[in-house]
Amino acid sequence: MNNKNNLQQNSIFTRWVSGIIENQKAFSGSCIILFFALVAIFVPFFINSPTDFLGTPLSPPSFEYIFGTNGQGQDVFAQTICGARQTLFVGFSAGILVVIIGALIGGIAGFYGGRIDDILSLLINVFLVMPGLPLMVILASWLPPTPGTLLGVLVLTGWAWNARIIRSQMMTFRNRDFVSAAIISGESNIRIIVVEIMPRMLSLLASAFIGASIYAIGAQVGLEFLGLGDISTVTWGTNLYWASNDLALLTESWWTFVPTGLSIAIVSFALTLINFGIDEVSNPRLISERIWRNKVPKELINHGITPVTSQNE
Amino acid sequence: MNNPIISVNNLSVEYVTGIKSVQAVHNVSFEINSGEIFGLVGESGSGKSTVVQAMMRILPPPALISKGNVFINNEDIMAASEADIINFRWKKISIVMQSALNALNPVLSVREQIHDVLKIHKGLIGIEADNRAKELLSLVDIEYNRLDSFPHQLSGGMKQRIVIAIALAIMPPIIIMDEPTTALDVIVEREIISKVIELRKKLDFTILFITHDLNLLLEFADRLAIMKDGEVVELDEVKNIQKGGKHPYTKKLIGSIPSASGVRQKGLLTKPDKLTFPKDPILEVKDLEKVFQSSNIFNKQKLVAVNGVSFKIFKGEIIGLVGESGSGKSTIAKLVTRLMRPSAGSIYLNGKNKKVTESRNVPLEYRKTVQMVFQDPFGSLNSIHTVYHHLARPLFRHKLKDQTEMFPYIVHLLEKVGLTPGDKFAKKFPHEMSGGERQRVAIARALSLDPQIIVADEPTSMLDVSIRMDVLEIFAKMRKENNLTVLFITHDLASARYLADRIIVLKNGAIVEENASEKLIQSPKKEYTKQLVTAASPGWLSSLGENFEKKEEYNDQ
Amino acid sequence: MNKSILYISRRFGFYLIAAFAALTLNFIIPRLMPGDPASIIFARFKGKLKPEAIDAMRESFGLTNDPIITQYASYLKGILQGDLGISIAYFPEPVSEIIGGGLIWTIFLAGSSMVIAFLIGTTLGVIIAWNRTGKLDTILPPALAFFGAFPYFWLAMVVLYIFGFSMNWFPIGRAFGNEVNPGLNTPYLLSVLYHAFLPALTLVFVSLGGWMLSMRNTMISTLGSDYITFANAKGIPSRLIMLRYAARNAILPNLTGFGMALGFMLSGALLTEMIFSYPGQGFLLLQAVQSQDYPLMQGIFMTITLAVLGANWLVDIAILFFDPRTRR
Repeated sequence: MNNKNNLQQNSIFTRWVSGIIENQKAFSGSCIILFFALVAIFVPFFINSPTDFLGTPLSPPSFEYIFGTNGQGQDVFAQTICGARQTLFVGFSAGILVVIIGALIGGIAGFYGGRIDDILSLLINVFLVMPGLPLMVILASWLPPTPGTLLGVLVLTGWAWNARIIRSQMMTFRNRDFVSAAIISGESNIRIIVVEIMPRMLSLLASAFIGASIYAIGAQVGLEFLGLGDISTVTWGTNLYWASNDLALLTESWWTFVPTGLSIAIVSFALTLINFGIDEVSNPRLISERIWRNKVPKELINHGITPVTSQNE
Repeated sequence: MNNPIISVNNLSVEYVTGIKSVQAVHNVSFEINSGEIFGLVGESGSGKSTVVQAMMRILPPPALISKGNVFINNEDIMAASEADIINFRWKKISIVMQSALNALNPVLSVREQIHDVLKIHKGLIGIEADNRAKELLSLVDIEYNRLDSFPHQLSGGMKQRIVIAIALAIMPPIIIMDEPTTALDVIVEREIISKVIELRKKLDFTILFITHDLNLLLEFADRLAIMKDGEVVELDEVKNIQKGGKHPYTKKLIGSIPSASGVRQKGLLTKPDKLTFPKDPILEVKDLEKVFQSSNIFNKQKLVAVNGVSFKIFKGEIIGLVGESGSGKSTIAKLVTRLMRPSAGSIYLNGKNKKVTESRNVPLEYRKTVQMVFQDPFGSLNSIHTVYHHLARPLFRHKLKDQTEMFPYIVHLLEKVGLTPGDKFAKKFPHEMSGGERQRVAIARALSLDPQIIVADEPTSMLDVSIRMDVLEIFAKMRKENNLTVLFITHDLASARYLADRIIVLKNGAIVEENASEKLIQSPKKEYTKQLVTAASPGWLSSLGENFEKKEEYNDQ
Repeated sequence: MNKSILYISRRFGFYLIAAFAALTLNFIIPRLMPGDPASIIFARFKGKLKPEAIDAMRESFGLTNDPIITQYASYLKGILQGDLGISIAYFPEPVSEIIGGGLIWTIFLAGSSMVIAFLIGTTLGVIIAWNRTGKLDTILPPALAFFGAFPYFWLAMVVLYIFGFSMNWFPIGRAFGNEVNPGLNTPYLLSVLYHAFLPALTLVFVSLGGWMLSMRNTMISTLGSDYITFANAKGIPSRLIMLRYAARNAILPNLTGFGMALGFMLSGALLTEMIFSYPGQGFLLLQAVQSQDYPLMQGIFMTITLAVLGANWLVDIAILFFDPRTRR
């Protein structure tokens, strides 16, 4: 006798997870991220230190230094690998924080409606419409250049986007009958939000986390490039700062900025892939039409006319 | 024998959604003669819309016509070239689509949407086109100043009529009408249908009319086909079907239609002959009011949903609250179940001045006493939880059962509403059950707390016609066995007559008339009630005409 | 018509509130930081000026010992009069003059890039969603998504490196060449375009994907609507359906998102300017950060924020013309 409400074979949650794993895009994206994460965590133990001045400055890639050296004679390969750590860590942490704050504020605004919603919505919209970079620059320039500052600044400028999306999803659910039924049964609001509604927003929350992380990584790198991060640490952003400071372009030392930039691009792209995958899982229409297009012979596909695959008398 | 104007032979349509396609329509064949009104009846999912959209080849992906052919005016549509098909669309056959509410392009005005058909098929532009558009609008009784309106400014009834006008634009010999009036109020629906029939007499076109409402077609169709699960199960003249038809499904459909006139239909359980109720009402509503205000600072708009409603319900009674959309019946349901606070008035539960209106937090005791069943069987259950969870949570919350008693009690409840074996159903998720089964679960959930009153808000309108009576019977059974009081809310006067002891008729937020069911049906006093009774009874078509006041519904934003 | 005016004024009211919030933030942030903002600013002048001079500078920067409210009031008054304070790096030039010079270049570069990216991206999105069997639909979305993942300034570096330094096809900085005279003459205008080409290319390249993908998505869901099926049934030719029925509706959500994308793309434009030494607000911002010129930084923040808010308001007005549901 199964008396508990476990996650059973057929539950929405297990089906969602297996859907994501089976989805090509989400799977490949996740593999790439996993790869970078593992490299960032473990590889630094086995390579040169990124801060030691090892070789002739600005020497192109060679056997000894596969990505060459930068303007201070440091190993670019080591810098690229080690830079991943803080950038990814701060990026994903910001992603999680943004989703938590967004869910709190957006969820409360969407669920309670009325005055509370008016005030919170105004707050969300004001933060949403203000351009991020100038605000971040001001905040970061006044504060000490620590990872904590970076985290705070990223979250402050990035929370509004997700809050708005979560709020509108919450409002849709709030009007559904199953919520009314729960209220009529006497359930408390908190319980309804946490147990009944939030689990149905899995795709949205996952997607929000990914989107926020993409933003956080990009914005973080931008700030550090301006010199507002701690320039003595090794991160992807500071790598680019030093590359620019040491006149990489003028000296035509492309190897000092290309590896870091490509890494950033690949990580962002992988995250985007995961998001595409999540989209497809939560909106099966996108896939079903693809299947249809593959099955029906091309000549029969005519916009606005249903194809006929066989003629008979 | 006439040469049929439409001939469908062994039509099969599938939807390609995965490794295995879904067969939507299987080997459907029928013929329609020129000038007749042909009906196509079936529940949702029976494939009727698929058939007619396949006939015009307008089915969107992932549909695929896998077999059969369709001859329209002796032209084989399946073998026709792209140019031919575009040529015959709208000229030879037009369609009024299901949910015409969404058939109009939201960013184009009515004028533009009528003009584009006129331009493409007849080359009419400018003033000529305008004149033709005005003609068409007057055919469906719409003023021509509506030409420049946008769809969001029009009421449902108006949108429907405009779509009909567009369908008539090129005067095609065949018009398909796919559930054209399903979303409309009964009285408006009858008006539109009689209008269409009047137009047909004037312009002489063939109609293929699709609906789930068999009753409707029996009134005015010549021949009809009944579809179930993608196949045609009955095909005959209306007069033969009225006698009962040949297929068991037909018999079942005919038997599930309650009627608002004549003798009350017998169901599985008859209504108790003598109904005695205690002196004091279990629920009393006095001068209830609910006003909705648009929250805009600049633009205050008031909507009075409930306007001074008072009634009493006695323990063990079944009350039918009948009204169209916009009458305020759903709002009353939400007020009685305390999902909303009234703007004015009071709600007394169990007499003795136990006013609940003042308190902001509804006491748990109230929740145990008043429960609700909702209209949408899928929406009222949470897709992520099992049936067990839905039923156990309220019990847990109200501390009515402990762990060991929970499961057996839930199995017992499920079987009481007809879901056997109960232990199998307890483990299911909503998506694993049919609409009817889900609704039974919803009823079981409402019953789990052993409430004194259940408010049922349109509990059967989203269910297949063939099972509606069974679901209503559950309420009748509960009343008989447990002395349950039921507030049954519906737009369907006939179902109210079937189930309820007393009927309250609601219009625009106020009570129009209130009486014992049979008395209300046999001798309605107010004009509106008379209209409702007529619309729900056979023979409404002929009675339309001078007796009807036509109301234009304007929907100014 | 009433509803339109109501709508425009409501939106204006909102942007006013947002502007106020930005102004207040601008005011509060330096005063919230640990330590005396004045000392931080004047640290560099410590050994070089007399204390009285420093006090005088303090006053001119509004960092008096008056209660906060008074400071706030005079700050607001100053803003309304166009007084954004005095720059530190370019002392004693007022910030408003320094900014004024660069504003037009930023508006030119960012504005034109955004419009181009929007137009091309949206058109591509329509075509791809319509013709989903084509090769375009398989290649473009992932390719453009990949390019969209590049940080703006990094791509700027790459582009500048390849086409500027390496191949010398394009200039490596500034808005126009030395040899031309500013004015409405052809050599000048051509030079402007020549210098703007690479930065604009960068901006368009990175943002194109976003526009294309979102238009593609809205097109796909619009194409599933009932009114498209109905239009098909009416015998309306394909091209008309694609444009008048589908695209007209699908573009609406993208227009609403345009305003928000503005702020985001502007940040990218600022960073790109820095790489190209393009004399706009971004370049100024870089210098301000490097020389810790707080008044200049805050002045740039104000102007950019106000510009974005204003542009958003204009977009809201434009939506009035496209979506009849907002009109009446």
